[in-house]
Amino acid sequence: MTPHGGASVSAFARLRSRIPAPVVPVLLALLVLPFVPFVHVLSSYALNIFMQASTFAVAVLGLAVVLGYTGQMNLAQAAFFGIGAYAVGLGTVAWGLSFWTALVVGVIASSAFGCVVGLTTIRLGGRYLAMITIACQQMFDFVMLNWVEFSRGPDGIAGIPRPSLFGHVLADDREYLLLCAVVLYAVIFALWWLPDTRLGRDMKAVRENELAAEVTGVHTLRVKVIAFTLSAALAGVGGAFYAAGFAYISPDNFNFARSIEFLTMALLGGSQSPFGAGIGTVLLILLPEWLRFLKQIYLAAYGLSVILIMVFMPEGIWGLLCAAWQRIAKPQRASAVEVPRLALDIATSDPAPILRVQDLKMHFGGLKAVDGVDLQVSRGTVHALIGPNGSGKTTTLNVLNGIYKPTSGRIFIESEDVTALAPHDRAARGVGRTFQNIRLFPALSALENVMVGAQRRNNPIRAGDAALRERALSALDFVGLLDQAGTEVKNLPYGHRRLVEIARALAGHPKLLFLDEPAAGLNLTEKGELVVLLRRLRAAHGLTIFLIEHDMKLIESVADRITVINFGKKIAEGTPAEVLRHPEVIAAYLGEPAHAAA
Amino acid sequence: MNGLSFNIQVLFSGLAVGSIYALVSLGLVLIIRTTNVVNFAQGDFAMLGAYAMLTMFSVLRLPYFLSILLALVVMGIFGIAFNYGVYYPLRNRSYLPVLISTLGAAIFMQNTILALFGPQPAPLAKVFSSQGIEIGGVFLDSQYLVILGVTAAAVAFQYFLFEHTLLGKKLQATSQDKDMARLVGIRTAWMIAITFIYSAMLGGLAGILVGPILFVSTGMAGVIALKAFSSTVIGGFGDVTGAIVGGLLLGVVESFGAAYISVPYKDAFGFLLLFVFLLVRPQGIFGERIAEKA
Amino acid sequence: MHSRWLAALVGIALAVAGRASAADTIKIGLTAEMTGPNAESGAYQVNGAKLALDEINKAGGVLGKQLELQVEDTQSNNNGAVNALSRLAAAGDITAIVGPVRSTQIQAMAPTLTRMGVPMLIGGTDPGLTKTGNPWLFRARPNDGYSAKVIADFGVNTLGKKKWAIVHATDAFGTGGKNALVEALKALGAQPVLVQGFTSNTQDFTPVILAIKQAGADIIGTYIPNSPDVGIFSKQLRQLGVNVPWVGSPSVATATAMKLGQEALFGTFAIADFTPGANAEAQTYAAKYKERFNVDPDFYSSWAYDAVHLIANAVKATNSTKPEDLKKAFLSTKGWKGVEGTYQFDKNGDGLHGYNIVKNDAGKITFVKNISFAPAP
Repeated sequence: MTPHGGASVSAFARLRSRIPAPVVPVLLALLVLPFVPFVHVLSSYALNIFMQASTFAVAVLGLAVVLGYTGQMNLAQAAFFGIGAYAVGLGTVAWGLSFWTALVVGVIASSAFGCVVGLTTIRLGGRYLAMITIACQQMFDFVMLNWVEFSRGPDGIAGIPRPSLFGHVLADDREYLLLCAVVLYAVIFALWWLPDTRLGRDMKAVRENELAAEVTGVHTLRVKVIAFTLSAALAGVGGAFYAAGFAYISPDNFNFARSIEFLTMALLGGSQSPFGAGIGTVLLILLPEWLRFLKQIYLAAYGLSVILIMVFMPEGIWGLLCAAWQRIAKPQRASAVEVPRLALDIATSDPAPILRVQDLKMHFGGLKAVDGVDLQVSRGTVHALIGPNGSGKTTTLNVLNGIYKPTSGRIFIESEDVTALAPHDRAARGVGRTFQNIRLFPALSALENVMVGAQRRNNPIRAGDAALRERALSALDFVGLLDQAGTEVKNLPYGHRRLVEIARALAGHPKLLFLDEPAAGLNLTEKGELVVLLRRLRAAHGLTIFLIEHDMKLIESVADRITVINFGKKIAEGTPAEVLRHPEVIAAYLGEPAHAAA
Repeated sequence: MNGLSFNIQVLFSGLAVGSIYALVSLGLVLIIRTTNVVNFAQGDFAMLGAYAMLTMFSVLRLPYFLSILLALVVMGIFGIAFNYGVYYPLRNRSYLPVLISTLGAAIFMQNTILALFGPQPAPLAKVFSSQGIEIGGVFLDSQYLVILGVTAAAVAFQYFLFEHTLLGKKLQATSQDKDMARLVGIRTAWMIAITFIYSAMLGGLAGILVGPILFVSTGMAGVIALKAFSSTVIGGFGDVTGAIVGGLLLGVVESFGAAYISVPYKDAFGFLLLFVFLLVRPQGIFGERIAEKA
Repeated sequence: MHSRWLAALVGIALAVAGRASAADTIKIGLTAEMTGPNAESGAYQVNGAKLALDEINKAGGVLGKQLELQVEDTQSNNNGAVNALSRLAAAGDITAIVGPVRSTQIQAMAPTLTRMGVPMLIGGTDPGLTKTGNPWLFRARPNDGYSAKVIADFGVNTLGKKKWAIVHATDAFGTGGKNALVEALKALGAQPVLVQGFTSNTQDFTPVILAIKQAGADIIGTYIPNSPDVGIFSKQLRQLGVNVPWVGSPSVATATAMKLGQEALFGTFAIADFTPGANAEAQTYAAKYKERFNVDPDFYSSWAYDAVHLIANAVKATNSTKPEDLKKAFLSTKGWKGVEGTYQFDKNGDGLHGYNIVKNDAGKITFVKNISFAPAP
């Protein structure tokens, strides 16, 4: 359910509009639910189940943040849960702290560990991350079992007291459950609101395509660390309330099997939504109770269901519900909005070259992809980089962008040495980029994709969400896709996706725009439209475009200057007229004149 | 017991246990090389092989080597099932769904076996009935020698396969660029199926050889699998020699750590080694950093 | 969505409560591991209880009423145990409970049990369980404090060995046992020369065994809960040439351990609470169990059998099913000969105060002697 509507609609109203009418009574029922035990007697069994569900759910919500929103694997969630639980257990029983103090200690501790795990992503991602988190989980298990002087070892900690609120001890299960429900609902609300914030969008961008996010200006490492820290903090909260709820904890409650359980709950319900996380938790706590008659088969079915979920409903039950809803609901029509014209002019008219490359070398082992290239790009021009396939063009661009660190040489953007800067830092200085093989955020709408571009640091727009939205809509309007703002980009045709990518780069109000084969894959008509677009960009004051292309006609019609490279070295440079008749250039593309004639 | 024979015994015990890790990680590396998938159910292949052997040899009372053969056949069939049930439906998705799927498969396998055979561990016959050999106060268990031998043979076989046969080249091509391999006429789906079949059989063989030492139970795979992963990372992700060296190194580090520092924390040394490698040299001892083409 | 499930749950709870209102049976609750890794021992527990139940019912029941068993699954984990107990509490008419055999599950259940206010007989051996001051726990097996005393007594006084190597798992059972054994040895004037812990499911015990050799131990005492660990340890022990006497916790003499360790376990001693050859009651019980269930019983079933009889006896003795009366009845039980031994509950709720020593005689478990201590006053 992606946000819609005009740029000037307030954030709250927009959130409200995301709730379809039939859901409202369900939400009200849920709000009333925790009060029911005071009116209607429930067995302690039922109360126990709910207590377990609500505390587990908070931990599973943590997984929703790190896995669902940010796409990072975390198999140590039970360890973070355990840190919170032990903080309360040890804190109240061994160190004489109050529950609330112990809770804070627990959250700080689990967040700290979560932060550390997040920092490991600086080096590793993907499958390595899975292994690192498993190893962390095992280490936690290990330490808690063996460091008996600290943790009381396998005996665990008994007699954990309930917290007291305003002097009243919450010994009554119903009151405690109410407290847990309040915490749970607060977390659900916060997580529901999160995806619509800058941080939320950054997280989703990292999940969808980390490289594109980094290049578009998202500080991906910071986002991942925040995601892990938040995930661990939530698990710590859940663990703390779990400990005080059940009065007894032991290490075997917080082991790898529990981590897998949390993961399955997140996946079953739908890791990308807080409601999904809640549904998954409740289901997987109630199911074993209801399916007791299945006995041994239950656990095997559990494992099988994980596979089936991944194959048939990767977005979980919530994803199924949303998909069903989208089929039933009338598609929301984008209200006709007036968007201001996209501002692309760059204020400065400093005559110095905006981009200067000095003796750039990029060697991959023995392969010299870029072998000593010097070039300068003047502000406000369109500068093309051409060369036969494999000549090192894209590698050069990737180095300029910051994706690769050059073997040697320097890069200056506006006289600042940016050679050592990460891509997101270059984006913060006004560098925009599109990719040869389009890198968008597939599950996000066109508008959200472009908004990620608009929220790059130092973008000269007003503060606030409304300004971001406005800028993004302007950019979409500029490329002619305003009416597709709400469409998920994976549903857009190739040509339109290319345009969205350009819009995303433009939304960041770039000074220097890198385009890597923008015409690749476009048909004749689309290419013509692209040329028109490029000319409009060229007309913007002060905007510099640096593009790689193969289509010579296109280059001739837009480029001011061309640099030709072959085998990683520059072989010609000048105006199109000069370069395209240069004998070496012709030889590079077509072979020696003697061969060409024969 | 003098200092030297003490250390040699510790060393050999480390190599012995490390050989278990190495053998299990061989199949793991193969799957990684061909499909880029980390198979969290690899340890359970070993468990399955051990139970298949148990059924053939101890329950059906078939001759020893025939039982091994039949057990491997069963594992081969299971490899096909695994390929089409767990990997194939997710082959075009990112690594995360597949990884989670293999986790689910592991749980499924363990609990199905638990339901069928019960939780009691069972013994399994060794290849050679002799206990082992003793040299200068140092004892070498015969089964461990078999494991080392089989591991070496498997490595040699895999090396030969990958470097000197057309099938091996096709497998390598599939792993490096599946689409391109398809375009040049390689039946990639079949290549991947072969990979899973072979890995399942190799994993099963590991279980058959390890079962006599660690006994056959549904939990036998758990810790071993984790250590096998660590071995592949330490040795170099995707490198066969690396997996072997990594496994042996891990075993030796654990053994000496236990002997000289602390026995209960033995596993922690393994983790520490893993952490150090992951943070300092994630490509492992022999691995290469493969940059993603932007 | 949530409200519908809530209604269903409430419905179930009410239905359960309603169904069980028949006042012509005396209900005994049973929490056992029916699913999960420990399911097999759970099955034995239920069998033992059922055997006792049927015997009592055939003989006319208790106070003219028949006994009824309500079995709840603990799922082999702490949460499941608490839920199982909660379900019994929800039934509302449970007279007494035969609880779990796992000490950590009992710990988890303790707060719920206190609120429920019904006596529970337990099979867990962690000595700490009866030291928490919970008046509702009654142990129908000897605790590890006694196991350690018996091991120490047998090794020092009967075998005459004083240089002990203690090898133990680092889990609750192993660590508790180790602590108790160290204390017991100290009381007998024998200092252990080696105390070595290891993590359960270790693949290789070489460093441990080398340490035993280097320490020059002349006897080994172990608390190893897992059979595979026992199997590997015993095999490697013999491979590395260690043949000193070995007195271990009960897992050394179980059928599974003997299957795994085979010759390596010949000649070892173990403590056991249930031993067919130890007394007449055990002998009869073994025969009865084998006849009905076609397998040999073990301690998982025997204590449950005793527990049901103990409950029946207590009800008969006080002529009531009220918890307070039952509590008093248990505490005044003296000299009742159960399968596990002769019961006399001390003020902490421990019913048995000694263990049998058994020996693995070339694959057959033979009874050596019983070592018991006077209950704490």
